[in-house]
Amino acid sequence: MLITRPDHEIVTKYCCIWSEDVIRFASQKFIDVYDLKGKKANRKEFESYVKSKNPSLIFFNGHGNTEVITGYDNKPLVDMQSVPSKSIIYARSCDAAQYLGPMLIQKGARSFIGYTRKFTFFYDPMSIMKPANDPMARLFLETSNLVVSAIIKDHTVAEADQRSRSAMFKNLQRMLSSEATFEERYAAPAMWSNINAQVVLGDLSAKI
Amino acid sequence: MNKKVETIGDVISNPEFREQLKAIVLERANAMPETLRIAIGSEEFKKDDLIKHIQNEDEIGKQMMAMELGFLQALTSGNIYRYE
Repeated sequence: MLITRPDHEIVTKYCCIWSEDVIRFASQKFIDVYDLKGKKANRKEFESYVKSKNPSLIFFNGHGNTEVITGYDNKPLVDMQSVPSKSIIYARSCDAAQYLGPMLIQKGARSFIGYTRKFTFFYDPMSIMKPANDPMARLFLETSNLVVSAIIKDHTVAEADQRSRSAMFKNLQRMLSSEATFEERYAAPAMWSNINAQVVLGDLSAKI
Repeated sequence: MNKKVETIGDVISNPEFREQLKAIVLERANAMPETLRIAIGSEEFKKDDLIKHIQNEDEIGKQMMAMELGFLQALTSGNIYRYE
């Protein structure tokens, strides 16, 4: 598995820290992890790893738009001109499932899981020094991590997508319940948006 | 609203509907707890930032309007309770 996780500001830092759960889980399953963290999340390193290691699974954390996924300092890692490996790709990036995802599938990627809108999450500003302990961010980032964890567990990409969205929906139900805090109820529309924006493209039966 | 609204795009592109939605979303933003920040794409916002974006109807403001409308539609249709 190849993972990119820039950490140059708060949003990328949160995704970077929360990705560590996935890295630990992959290691427990004896899966080789090539970790492009921080400044290493640049195009040169990324393309070099893809060429030399031919990863079966790529997990992008970083900003994006309909045509680009970025790395450190928001510099492009993948764009419409990129030639992908025959990988399963999960992009925790905004909008990339609109045009970039279909283009990567057309050029040879096996499957692409991503978002057709902006990936949105809430967090507690008092937790920015310890994002892993932020219960609000947990609701959003732990459930999106499930996409990759499920693929590592040998599920198909369609099953992984479904497991992740089911977990998001379960969180949403709790956020709308009488047990929820005001903050959790306030954040519910963002969870609903993420559930509906997450899509899987390409070979739905693909596994690593 | 006296016309049938089919999509979020219908609302955003119709000046009358958009103003009504904007008023609702501004009220929602005003209720945002000070103990929260929202990350939308590459940016993070606190309550006051969000209100400005909604007032200006820029990309972030429209994103918030679309998100809130999608949620309200799911609540009223019941889809939010039977999603699978």
